[in-house]
Amino acid sequence: MKALIKVSAVLAVSLFASAPAFADGFKNCTKLDKASWKPASEAEAKAKEAGYEVRRSKVEGSCYEVYGVKEGKLYELFYSPEDLSLKKTIAKN
Amino acid sequence: MVKVWDFPLRACHWALAFFVLLAWFTPSRFDSLHRFAGYTVMVLIAFRIGWGIFGTRFSRFHAIGRRLRAAPAYLYKLLRGRSGRYRGLNPAGTAMMVALLLLLAVSTITGWMSTTVRFFGVPWVEDTHGYVSDAVIVLVVIHVLGVLAMCVLQKENLIRAMITGWKRRHR
Repeated sequence: MKALIKVSAVLAVSLFASAPAFADGFKNCTKLDKASWKPASEAEAKAKEAGYEVRRSKVEGSCYEVYGVKEGKLYELFYSPEDLSLKKTIAKN
Repeated sequence: MVKVWDFPLRACHWALAFFVLLAWFTPSRFDSLHRFAGYTVMVLIAFRIGWGIFGTRFSRFHAIGRRLRAAPAYLYKLLRGRSGRYRGLNPAGTAMMVALLLLLAVSTITGWMSTTVRFFGVPWVEDTHGYVSDAVIVLVVIHVLGVLAMCVLQKENLIRAMITGWKRRHR
């Protein structure tokens, strides 16, 4: 039984530990301390200005990831929380 | 020895295992592979449900209600090291199968929804997909642990049984 518990613990840890390494293609936008980041709402506003319909935004590594739709196409936009520069655009379809 | 698991069931089982793990390791970065894995899982669970209706004896869902009702008592006894032997799925295995099929259905459907303009980036869709997919992996680990425990308790190699289809007869 002890061996079984060990096997399952190793299995669970390795499955969950290895997944985040694959989690996202892009996550390095700034080295700036989180406390001095600009608010996420400003990244959303930039996406709106650029013509995207903004669905949601979240923090991905040191980036703001904004989900936007433009002309029926899906995009993930990565902004730097430091200066709100657009670091990467990923088209999802 | 007695034949329990038919070939389509075994093929479906191992294909599911492969594509669920493939999907687990491919989100975002390997988008097209992740989608391919997800759609394949969809097809496989659809097949499994169909096979649960039209398949051979031990693949069919006919005893599902009875075995689900027996599952709590069975698990209670199992935790004390006592296991009743079933030739097909035991009540705990039945509960696991139902839980996995349901969660995989929710996971694949919300995953597919995230690729549509209507539901892309809608928080509840993406969050449900994430949490339910995590739950699938937790269940997979419990499933493997449960099978290994049953191997010990019943002194039978159940992994080989799922490969060859054969199990030993009742004493």
